Amino acid sequence: MKHISTAATNKSDKAAREVPASLIHPVVIYPFRQPADYSDLTALYDLVARLNADRARYARPVTVLDRKTHFAMEGNQAFRDFRHQTVAKHSDVLDAWCVDTCQMWYTGLGHAWEHGHSHDVYWLLPGDFNYGTPIGQQVLSRLNDLPEIIQELDQDFCVGEITTDHSNPKQLIDTYGTFAMLYNWFPAEAREIRQMTERPRSEFFAIRHAFLGEVLRDRWYAYEQTLVILLKAVLGKKKISRFSVGDLSDLPHGRESLAAAMQEVERTERVLRSFWRERNQHNRTWPVEYRALATQSSDIRRTAFTLLENLLK
Amino acid sequence: MTHMSSFGPPRYSGARQTLRGVNFICNAPQAQAVSLIGDFNGWNPDANPMRQQPDGAWLIMVELRHGHHRYAFWVDGQLTLDPRAQGITRNDQGQRVSLVPVS
Repeated sequence: MKHISTAATNKSDKAAREVPASLIHPVVIYPFRQPADYSDLTALYDLVARLNADRARYARPVTVLDRKTHFAMEGNQAFRDFRHQTVAKHSDVLDAWCVDTCQMWYTGLGHAWEHGHSHDVYWLLPGDFNYGTPIGQQVLSRLNDLPEIIQELDQDFCVGEITTDHSNPKQLIDTYGTFAMLYNWFPAEAREIRQMTERPRSEFFAIRHAFLGEVLRDRWYAYEQTLVILLKAVLGKKKISRFSVGDLSDLPHGRESLAAAMQEVERTERVLRSFWRERNQHNRTWPVEYRALATQSSDIRRTAFTLLENLLK
Repeated sequence: MTHMSSFGPPRYSGARQTLRGVNFICNAPQAQAVSLIGDFNGWNPDANPMRQQPDGAWLIMVELRHGHHRYAFWVDGQLTLDPRAQGITRNDQGQRVSLVPVS
């Protein structure tokens, strides 16, 4: 097997180890709603073009494009040009009918995994962020750290954390929704997750081949895949790292609305309920425990709704 | 501790051999002794003692090769995370430690 040598200063340095050659598979999730301004996507695909040019380290990038996006934009010349002259030039386009972004992840990561090998790493690149801004450019320059950390430090999962202020809707949803729900359904695992990251629903991550294979083969929950992966990582005693990628924001797609925030809280609740039931249904007493946790969960959801209603006005 | 990782496709072996000076700062004004420990010195508390500055913070500059390095501060015999680190991971003993990228 071909080997590459990584950075080292002495024999005890982890990075000094000879590690098997591995490829990084970039998987780009094209925005569901096409932004009118292409500057953010242009910046992202400048990066994708550089990745595509470096075949010693990167597999041919993959872009997942929802068919609904395609058909909504097929009459738009600018979209068609961008798709053919930029997206398809630097990546393989996977056209897929997807019910939501998580299914786009599943499609892209699954496709890449089928073409990957045991030492490979898979790197998710969400398309709907403000990469064209000066801050976005800085963030783009750091994203490659996520798969590299997995390669160099022999990790299973590396979650990228964006910096937000306390009043950011993502922060509020995680504080009053995600973590509150997690502490209810999986208290021990929630503590472990929070020791590593404050962004358990991050869309930035890289994952090792074997672990991605486990996640793909298991039931794939419909919502909040990063949260599910983190839970599986903690329960499976996988090696997790967190890396700050900087200060980014979603493109304005209405995610800051109260309705959208509550939808995210409800999705988190739904996936945690399913996950808990699947793990505990072999116990004879599970219905009793489940009923108690579900009651608490409803209280948490109602409280989150009240708080988010006050905070997102 | 400051650093900046930049995507320069690709990081060839030449870059991997480059040593880069990285400053580590630990704000522990009451501590008696602070050192830097990490993968790069075998987690040896005697390898990289830090020097206390007039403002009470402890400072050391070490040269590190390109890549990602795990480290922590050894503050009066206690492993301490760097609150300003860009990342967190675990060492071989399962303890949480800090992460620094060097480009």
